[in-house]
Amino acid sequence: MEMERSDEVTRRKFLMSSAGAALFSMAGCERIEKMFLLGPQPGPVVPPSGKGIDLISHALNRLSFGPDPSEYARVKEMGASEEEAVAAYVDEQLDPDSIDDKRATRAVRRFEAIHAPLAEMYEYKEEFLLEQMTRATLVGATRSKRQLFEMMVHFWSDHFNIDASKEECRWLKAADDREVIRKHALGNFLEMVRASALSPAMLWYLDGRENRKQNEDEKPNENYARELLELHTLGVDGGYSQKDVMEVARCLSGWTVRGLERMLKKGKVSFDSEAHDDGAKVVLGHKIAAGGGKTDLDAVLEIVCGHPSTAQYLAQKLCVRFIDDDPPQDAVEATAKAFSESGGDIKTTLRALFSTKAFLEGSRGSKLKRPFEFIISALRGSRAEVRSELNLIDYLVRMGHAPFQYPTPDGYSDVASPWSGTLLWRWHFAIALARNEIDKKIKVDEADLIEKAGGVAGLSASLLGRVPTEEESASITRSGEALALLLASPGFQWR
Amino acid sequence: MKGTGIVSGNGDEQRTLVVVFLRGGADGLTLAPPVGDQVYHDLRSNIAVSEGEVLKLGAANCGLHPAMSGLHDVFKDGGLSVIPAVGSEDETRSHFYAQDLMEHGGAVAGGWLGRFLRYREGRQPTALSAVALGKKMPEVLRGAPAATVMESMDTFSLGKKGVSTAKFKAELAGLYGAETSLLGPAARDTLQALDRVAELAKTSYSPEHGAEYSDDSFSNGLRQAAQLVRARVGLEAVSLDLDGWDSHFAQETLIAPMITRLSEGLSTFYQDLGPLMRKVTVVVMTEFGRRVAENSSFGTDHGSGGLMMVMGGKERGLVGTMPKLDAGTLIGPGDVPVVTDYRSILIPELKMHGVRETVGEIFPGFAQEK
Repeated sequence: MEMERSDEVTRRKFLMSSAGAALFSMAGCERIEKMFLLGPQPGPVVPPSGKGIDLISHALNRLSFGPDPSEYARVKEMGASEEEAVAAYVDEQLDPDSIDDKRATRAVRRFEAIHAPLAEMYEYKEEFLLEQMTRATLVGATRSKRQLFEMMVHFWSDHFNIDASKEECRWLKAADDREVIRKHALGNFLEMVRASALSPAMLWYLDGRENRKQNEDEKPNENYARELLELHTLGVDGGYSQKDVMEVARCLSGWTVRGLERMLKKGKVSFDSEAHDDGAKVVLGHKIAAGGGKTDLDAVLEIVCGHPSTAQYLAQKLCVRFIDDDPPQDAVEATAKAFSESGGDIKTTLRALFSTKAFLEGSRGSKLKRPFEFIISALRGSRAEVRSELNLIDYLVRMGHAPFQYPTPDGYSDVASPWSGTLLWRWHFAIALARNEIDKKIKVDEADLIEKAGGVAGLSASLLGRVPTEEESASITRSGEALALLLASPGFQWR
Repeated sequence: MKGTGIVSGNGDEQRTLVVVFLRGGADGLTLAPPVGDQVYHDLRSNIAVSEGEVLKLGAANCGLHPAMSGLHDVFKDGGLSVIPAVGSEDETRSHFYAQDLMEHGGAVAGGWLGRFLRYREGRQPTALSAVALGKKMPEVLRGAPAATVMESMDTFSLGKKGVSTAKFKAELAGLYGAETSLLGPAARDTLQALDRVAELAKTSYSPEHGAEYSDDSFSNGLRQAAQLVRARVGLEAVSLDLDGWDSHFAQETLIAPMITRLSEGLSTFYQDLGPLMRKVTVVVMTEFGRRVAENSSFGTDHGSGGLMMVMGGKERGLVGTMPKLDAGTLIGPGDVPVVTDYRSILIPELKMHGVRETVGEIFPGFAQEK
């Protein structure tokens, strides 16, 4: 009877909670939605006034999913100069706990299925879980004030990619998102890799659960070991050999996860010492003595996470995310150094990256927004009121960038070229959003946006992060559809 | 110099792969009944297709159901291959698991048609590279670099019908015309594609070569697919379902109209596209076949080996061999064995559609038969 838990039960449970009951008894649904979704009145809009993208707009473009119209003024107020303001903004964003984010947190809590204990996940239909997870991700990226945190969630979701359509990942990915990605997004890299290595979803996705050696003839399953080295830590050119892959697989043999056919504790991870290859191993030149049992895992993680190639590889990927598709070598070196010296502390690493000359003075607006980033920046920039994310997911699927749906372990590409074929749907989305044609549950108020920004020129500057060119201004005027054209324009596709 | 090509300048070279999934486990032994196998008639004394009615496929030991005269003509024209006893490693005989397994191409993430679009050689996929005709994205396309669920041509048009977007497009053309990045050429291609789509949405489609599509959702889907192929908008993959093959009860009554729909739809598509069928391959598959013995309600239950058909793309006519249905051959509770894995049928087709060294990426873990 419990196998197919319906929405009805979920809703009832919510109503039974004191907060739910109180809210529903005192107000109509519409008002509750508003309470959940609309933040406090936003501050004044003072659009950027530079001809090019200034440092503040640059930081907002890179650390966040694009600014809300009042965000530029808020950050500007944080310091006496652009540099000071951005330094303060970086500090703020690197300390997400200091940011009051109750409203966004509450909006995400509405998707209660994805917050359920592991074994309970199996009671939901997998389509429902994927939908809830995706909606929660969209809500977080759009509404959270902890924008850098959400951006790192976005980054790590690709780095430790799991496609939720593979076998039991359907039920387990939500826990991975919670316990691996979000828990460690700004934490320590080694701890994150450890959580990922023992994540039930990862044990399914990369077949770690089938990595066992119970007799001489049994060969360990190398899938996870290979991706751990190739994608999660050292990188493909990181200097490991096939022998290293096999040795890592031996070290990790025996870890497994209980499947849905089990009555109890579905999704529970355990170590089966009978299935562990307990002989001596050598990983990347380091000896691991025989008899280590489950501690082999920690030995391996120490070796691979502390390897210089890992620092280089992570630094390179982070610089591609935050600086350029082809970042300058000195920025990568500085980031790698901070990573190594801090023992993989992600905040320290990011702080170093944001202090590089390449970040502060390098090219601006040079990163193509991927479809997810485009959609979220459009929603944020237009202050869209979103009461259902379902049609947003459709757009993401059309552009091949729906969260949790990338099939292979390498994650979505973070450089421009694979995304060049997505313009049709970007334009389609821009016009549908601005004309309020997506559906009844997504609303923008263009007139109000223009008024708050002090005119079309202000809205343009607010969305582009700079004063529009003469050509852009003329074009916007001629089109008669400022918001739609701005969102569809080349200037808005870059960050 | 060609652009990155949403409207492929070399549209004539564009191949399109159409995947038709018969959901519910279509009975291969009714679609392509055995010829000369008494066991079939013994085990299906009420519902076997009588040998006299079967449309013969040359000297092959299986034929086609009498309602498939359309596809029989396609076969005689050299446009159809019929492969009996095809299936997957599925042992659950559950619709959900078996469909999933076959659409993903094994116990892997994402669909094989989606991976095909990522790994085939050539251009970047575009907004119009892949469409699912229907209401929902099928698993087979999951993970595609771009895929659209399309109910009508209007799906692609900018803005709601009736509100002009001419000015909007003109301004986009101007702004992107000055763009020196990779978005410049991409925008030109996109604008051309939009013009084509607008034309298509405006004019009603007239099939050629005397083809007349029936008015059911399957035929309507094929008609749209034909229109997109003709319009040369860069269509590479189409997914289309025909549901309702789960014939546990009164099988003949239930599936005879489905068989007619399938055969008429596909043969009309073939007739309509005519010579263009050399560039279009249609693959027809189902999650599993059905038990050989009929059940007590004149139906059949979930089985193993089922039917696959491939139409167009090149000269066809190859027919697999129907295994003998005696007790020694049947597997499990009395099912047609899986003689051919569906992936070994798909692989040569995917190669023809531009997959080179990357077959292993599309079907990970599948050891290809030489």
